[in-house]
Amino acid sequence: MANIDQLSAARIAAGVAAGEFSATEVAKASLDAIEARDEKVQAFLQVSSDLALAAAAETDRLRAAGEKLGPLAGVPVAFKDNMHLVGTRTTCASKMLENYESTFTATCVQRMLDAGATPMGKANMDEFAFGSSTESSAFHRTNNPWDTERVPGGSSGGSAAAVAAGEVTISLGSDTGGSIRQPASLCGVVGMKPTYGAVSRYGVVAFGSSLDQVGPFGRSVEDVALAMNALTAAGRDPYDSTSQPCAVDFLEHLEDPVEGMRVGVVPALMEAAGLTTEVRAAVEGAAKALENAGAELVEVDLPNIKSAIAAYYVIAPCEAFSNLARFDGVRYGYQEEGCLSLAEQTSKSRAHGFGEEAKRRQMLGAYLLSSGVYDKYYYPAQQVRTLITQDYKRAYEQCDVILMPASPRTAFKFGEMSDPTQMYASDMFTISNNIAGNGGISVPLGLGAESHLPVSVQLQGPAFSDRKLLRFARAVEKSFSARGAVAPEFAGKGGELS
Amino acid sequence: MALSREDVQGIAGYARIALTDEELDEMTAYMNEAIDLLEPIRQYDLDGVDPTFHPIGDLSNVMGEDIIDDSARALPIDVALKNAGSTRDRYFRVPSILGTDEDEGGIA
Amino acid sequence: MKKLAEVLKDWEAVIGLEVHTELTTLETKMFCNCKNTHDDPPNTNVCPVCLGMPGALPVPNRAAIQSIVMAGLATNCQIMRHSMFYRKHYFYPDMAKNFQTTQGPVAFCMHGHLDLEVSGEGAAERPAWEDVAGDGETPISREKDGSYVAPIRILRIHMEEDAAKMVHVGGEEGRITAATESLIDYNRCGTPLIELVTEPDLRTPEEARLFMEKLQQTFKTLGISDCSLENGSMRCDGNISLRRRGETRLGTKTEMKNINSFKSLHDALEYEICRQAEVLEEGGIIYQETRHWEPSRRRTVVMRVKETADDYRLFPDPDLAPFDLTDDFIEEAREKIPELPDAKRDRYMHDYGLKRADAAQLAGDPAVADFFEKALEGAPKKAVATIANVMVNLAPSFDALSPAQVRSISGLLAEDAITFAQAREVLEAVNGTEKDPERVVDERGMRQVTDTAALEPIVDEVLARCTDQVQQYHDGNKKVVGYLVGQCMKASKGSGNPKLFNKLLTARLEA
Repeated sequence: MANIDQLSAARIAAGVAAGEFSATEVAKASLDAIEARDEKVQAFLQVSSDLALAAAAETDRLRAAGEKLGPLAGVPVAFKDNMHLVGTRTTCASKMLENYESTFTATCVQRMLDAGATPMGKANMDEFAFGSSTESSAFHRTNNPWDTERVPGGSSGGSAAAVAAGEVTISLGSDTGGSIRQPASLCGVVGMKPTYGAVSRYGVVAFGSSLDQVGPFGRSVEDVALAMNALTAAGRDPYDSTSQPCAVDFLEHLEDPVEGMRVGVVPALMEAAGLTTEVRAAVEGAAKALENAGAELVEVDLPNIKSAIAAYYVIAPCEAFSNLARFDGVRYGYQEEGCLSLAEQTSKSRAHGFGEEAKRRQMLGAYLLSSGVYDKYYYPAQQVRTLITQDYKRAYEQCDVILMPASPRTAFKFGEMSDPTQMYASDMFTISNNIAGNGGISVPLGLGAESHLPVSVQLQGPAFSDRKLLRFARAVEKSFSARGAVAPEFAGKGGELS
Repeated sequence: MALSREDVQGIAGYARIALTDEELDEMTAYMNEAIDLLEPIRQYDLDGVDPTFHPIGDLSNVMGEDIIDDSARALPIDVALKNAGSTRDRYFRVPSILGTDEDEGGIA
Repeated sequence: MKKLAEVLKDWEAVIGLEVHTELTTLETKMFCNCKNTHDDPPNTNVCPVCLGMPGALPVPNRAAIQSIVMAGLATNCQIMRHSMFYRKHYFYPDMAKNFQTTQGPVAFCMHGHLDLEVSGEGAAERPAWEDVAGDGETPISREKDGSYVAPIRILRIHMEEDAAKMVHVGGEEGRITAATESLIDYNRCGTPLIELVTEPDLRTPEEARLFMEKLQQTFKTLGISDCSLENGSMRCDGNISLRRRGETRLGTKTEMKNINSFKSLHDALEYEICRQAEVLEEGGIIYQETRHWEPSRRRTVVMRVKETADDYRLFPDPDLAPFDLTDDFIEEAREKIPELPDAKRDRYMHDYGLKRADAAQLAGDPAVADFFEKALEGAPKKAVATIANVMVNLAPSFDALSPAQVRSISGLLAEDAITFAQAREVLEAVNGTEKDPERVVDERGMRQVTDTAALEPIVDEVLARCTDQVQQYHDGNKKVVGYLVGQCMKASKGSGNPKLFNKLLTARLEA
């Protein structure tokens, strides 16, 4: 009847509920698409066929038993490989966790499953989420479905690519400094980083605990809203002390007009060094589209955002050092063989289990937290964080959302950014939102005029205004195309739902 | 003031990351480059600005009840040990601690 | 080595304690819902959180926070409304995350104090003011019997989690030395732990011992821990340095570990004071080091020399929301605090007229106090002193008595129906049984004859027989009446009441 990559999540769930097709048929179509496409995309680290078919069979059994199905019934979903799912390995794309078997299931994963989703597997990523290109995966690269010689972005590159290639309908990623919004932008899909605390972090391997947030990728704003419902409807997670209730229906008001609402634009950001002309033009086009839809554009200033990257590269490595200290090869993880002392085993397991960027970040963090240095960098960085947060608060007194690029440029070639600190600039537009803990979403705008690769706009909103953010995202989406397209090279390959 | 190779070696020792000589050179270069990137943080007068360690607004006093939920979360012994590189009976196992500078009881 | 008393005349010992107490009475661990017990087989009570598995997150145990607030209130601390948990990093596999979740510069409880009453032999450890030349300190005021009150300040009490237990295999006595491998049991990892740090206000081993004892009594009364030094649910490290009398600067301190009894605490500090004095007097220097007390050899040995201060990379734990304790929360904790030992002691003195030492002994241990108060239930007012007497002097050695049995025995004693010696016999007979002491007394024919008419013939007989002693009495040796009472008791085969014999004998001799 159709290819799996042409169906929205809502359409699949409705079709399964109506008996138009079974969840098992959907799962098989998704597996077929993965089979046909992923050899070239390499979005997956593991395809969990058995789990997928078992979950789909259960959905079908529930339907047969007359039970009410969840809003994601039968929807094929991929999870970033830093999210635990019992029955899969959780590797964080690191040799350190190459053989790590999940001992429990992450709350975000469980909630997707509770909503009826079918778990297709675990998606590739930058090792421990350190990176913006997925090149630091210890296992293999992931290719951008729009140009397989280019990176998909990162760190949630596998999650973005799996959706962009039409292998799955929805995926989950995590965003510490832009790791959902930047790859979504480079792969031409919708990617949302919700407000910090909106989605539980329990069961997601931590990178920067005060910055990490789980969020969905989809080919449409509606699919992302549906996933947000699944992730938050059960309320706050008692296992995550920083989680907060935000149970609203994200589909409600999605189609409401934005007429009379205000969209903030930060002139300084539109002039930022490194922002390419085509991205800038596209983002201005998105602003124009919102204006045409009746929204008012207002100029706002975020004076301290210029220090966001510096603050981030203090806070994130410190938290990373601390979070990754537990990987010592004792309770789990890579263990160097033949060591005569504990110290030798620990130092060699960590030296050989972690990749270069993971070691760099931890070294930086260990230095920045050390006595004396803490007061020079860590403490002031957290004070600067306050200033950035206050900037946003003031700006949101003048506007409902702020519009800016998601990534300064379209997808780059493998190896093009060899210098780690150069790579850090990829997140120049996304990082400040993690620092403030606010929500942000990347919405595709079609292809760039010069690169002919996907370009996106990013919308940011105040804390816990994620529903409003989706409404603006939908307004942008309506102006550009009905929905994000599957990368042409892969569209329709395998995945036929008969 | 730039970090010396010896400084970086000291940090690596603390962080329990064994680095080869070549890696140490690269790491020293990286650390200094990264620290330069952080310079904007030091340009502020931050007197009277409170730090934001937790971007969670006014959320505070988050606590759980003192109720056992071992049916929900406690791990059976085989699951608890299954990812360990080295075990003995019901224990996790580590090689001899000698040769380290730790004392016996850790810090507690 | 010189004796402690000698040393302390020339040297002032400056002692501070760090006391870790596991909150053993809680159901669950500090940051997860695992069962809070470590007696089960290794790695039974473990979950992703306390095993430090990647992706796991901590949630603080409300009851633990309430317990530490109670501990703070009971030790006169200021309860800090705003505080946070911090991560304290160190690579050692007994802490599953390679950091310990603890508190930073601000603890839940800060700046408290406990007043120690030091008396008896222990009071003599602190040299009398006049014995000490040039001491810069304000002299403590002493009672006539030498006892004094030492106010000991508490710097802070903070909340943290305990570490796993490690078993060192192949070494001597399970110690690290020569061990070929170590095994880790994470059952204890994550146990709620409170750490109390005193100011360096203690001056003698006895004061340190008393402080620990008082702290144990307080925490036991609060019901927050079983406070066992032997089993390690209460652990004490001592920091100690010496300085010449009159000197105000602090000397280099050593840290004492492996103290698992009150006696060890006293003896280890005594040894260490004397050792440091010897080193210093011989012109040596004290190194900042951690020393291990070996009770069997009665000495401390070096465990680890600290060349530089440890850098634990402390920073606020981003996974744990900060605390802003509310009035309600603090009041709820305050209402849960039962009567504390000092207040109970004062009440016993005031209400029952008990001697201070007896009242303190009964009030110190909540189990003993509870037993005492149960024994008092329904007892006549005049029996209170006897019940206290029995409990202080006899009952401590009988662990399987009921309050009713003690009440009954005390009643028999109070009405002179049995002697003190017989009371001991009856206690032995009923200990561990449900026997009624009255029946035991009847069965054994112990009940004392208190009928004067029945006793007078015996008195006559003894006085007639013991002419020497009667003469001694008249010569002024009044004590000899005791011998005569003994003779009467013997003659009555123990059934006569000794007090009554005494009265009759004295009356006759004085007549």
